[in-house]
Amino acid sequence: MLRAVGLVKSYRAPSGAPIRVLGGVDLTVKAGEIVVVTGPSGSGKSTLLNVLGLLEAGDGGDVWYQDDRVTALGRTARSRARGGYVGFLFQSFLLLPSLTALENVLLAARYVGRSGPATRQRALDLLAEVGVADRRDHFPPQLSGGEQQRVAFCRAVLNDPPLLLADEPTGSLDDANGAVILAALRGRARAGAAVVVVSHRPEAAVGATTVYRLRDGALESSWPHE
Amino acid sequence: MLRGYLFTVLGIAIGVAGLVSLGAMSERIVRFIDGGDRFVLGQISVAGRGMGMGAGFTAGGLLPASAVAAIAAVPGVAGVQPQVMLPLNPSTSQFMTLTQELVLGFDLSVPMPNRHYRSLPVRAGRFLREGDRRVAVLGAAFAASRGLGVGSRLTLEGESYEVVGVLDRMLTAPDRFVMVPIADARAQWVAKDALLRTVLASGAMPLTASDLNTGAAVGWRDGEDPDAVALRIRERVPGVNVQLPSELSQLLRSSTAFFSALLAGIGVLAFVIGGLSLANTVAAAVFERIRDFGVKRALGATDLQLGREVLAEALAVTLVGGLAGIALALSLGSFIDAFVAGGNQQLFHFSPRLLGGALAFSVLLGTAAAAYATARVVSVSPAEAIRRAS
Ligand SMILES: Nc1ncnc2c1ncn2[C@@H]1O[C@H](COP(=O)(O)OP(=O)(O)OP(=O)(O)O)[C@@H](O)[C@H]1O
Ligand SMILES: [Mg+2]
Repeated sequence: MLRAVGLVKSYRAPSGAPIRVLGGVDLTVKAGEIVVVTGPSGSGKSTLLNVLGLLEAGDGGDVWYQDDRVTALGRTARSRARGGYVGFLFQSFLLLPSLTALENVLLAARYVGRSGPATRQRALDLLAEVGVADRRDHFPPQLSGGEQQRVAFCRAVLNDPPLLLADEPTGSLDDANGAVILAALRGRARAGAAVVVVSHRPEAAVGATTVYRLRDGALESSWPHE
Repeated sequence: MLRGYLFTVLGIAIGVAGLVSLGAMSERIVRFIDGGDRFVLGQISVAGRGMGMGAGFTAGGLLPASAVAAIAAVPGVAGVQPQVMLPLNPSTSQFMTLTQELVLGFDLSVPMPNRHYRSLPVRAGRFLREGDRRVAVLGAAFAASRGLGVGSRLTLEGESYEVVGVLDRMLTAPDRFVMVPIADARAQWVAKDALLRTVLASGAMPLTASDLNTGAAVGWRDGEDPDAVALRIRERVPGVNVQLPSELSQLLRSSTAFFSALLAGIGVLAFVIGGLSLANTVAAAVFERIRDFGVKRALGATDLQLGREVLAEALAVTLVGGLAGIALALSLGSFIDAFVAGGNQQLFHFSPRLLGGALAFSVLLGTAAAAYATARVVSVSPAEAIRRAS
């Protein structure tokens, strides 16, 4: 489902000197697989996920979603590819504070041209599945962190994307809430999605197809672990 | 849709309120000057030239019945209406100030010759009629300042007058007039002017009541050039002061030119300052949401979709803010008009063109600022947009 070849990315330090973060990363994730990426802070995990999800352009290399070479697409087509292929989950949830829980979930449908009672029903079903149906009219500041991440999960999967990218999805949650989110991600993989999870947590690796460690700008396999 | 935009709407409202209230002060004076201009261009104004009596406060002198008849006989003249104009308070007689209160007596046997003011707009009661005595019609500002209405009584030179009509607010000179039948104005003149009484008592000049005019409004026949008719009167009727409408208008324009320029400057400043404040508020509201834009782009929003969304919101926000600003300016203006200067000055004129223009300006500028800010915000990558705000 997802294939990346030779991804390169450097940032400029304030001094102007280049900082190489990704030094030619290759990665393949098939439908139904869960890939976990670990690595020390600052090793470039978020950068990798952003380049894979077209949230940021790399300096070199290519990314394919199924047979689409999405790194070759223009601006608008890349936006459409994000909307059509990818669901994102972030450590800080990134719900829009001016929208209710339900509206936040439905936002994912807005830009891919879906609406109507069927979409709304699916959003309500998803909220019920993760146990926050009774919070649907709450605004994000009125929700706990665990509740917010459940809502964010519903938003990420509303369109049933074939690829899920999660950047420290449990980083702001307690163990119980973290377990709920990780279980939900495994559920999506079982349903056929390709899932990439960046996480420090050992629990994240449970049930993973592959675990990589990002070090010095490259992925090294750390599976089987110890 | 407007959820979370309260402060933006308030910011816009304040900018628009400032713009509209400054603009309304400017409009007020423009209306005054334009009204005066229309008046002087609608008639030929003739005044008596000194009749050798040095004339008390009627510096222009007397326009006797013989002169009125001579003017009426000049080719091209369509009507001559004798008038008596007296300052209500003689101590200000030498100055035609913008806010001077005047008593104006009309000879109602002659139709109003002024082409732009064939009649004056009556808000309550009626205008003067031929044969009326001891009745008065009041300008709106005069009536308001004295708390007078139709049926009230008013004492002028020791005589009691019944108020039979009050004019609409015209935002120009007649707002401060007391209009009476010419016979009453003549009686007031005699009562006010000691010199005139002496002349009348001495019999030095054979004067009858119909000679007691301070001036006349003169109309012209259709198709005549008013300036040419005025020059003809000047040529053929000796001893009168004839004003050319175009010259008088010119005089009025040049004497108010500084004022007009000042007000134009205030208006421009109001638009620049109000506009900048509005554009800044709208742009700040967009920049503040940079993270939301990043999230929406992650969800697949294209630039076009985001642009449409922002424009719709900017339109709604500036429209609501603009309307609130107008409402704020209107209430501020009427509050100031009611409590400043004892309630008998109108400092603001909220003309439809000002309100419409201010609203259109706000909406245009607001959407332009939003479009600019959106272009800036989507120029960074979604990842950067999400990072920047946290
Ligand atoms: N916009 C940027 N400009 C300059 N340097 C950046 C920028 N974004 C990230 N970096 C640098 O790139 C490196 C990788 O950052 P990244 O956020 O990908 O790390 P990470 O592995 O996700 O770390 P963490 O586990 O702390 O989230 C860091 O050293 C960071 O300082
Ligand atoms: Mg990170």
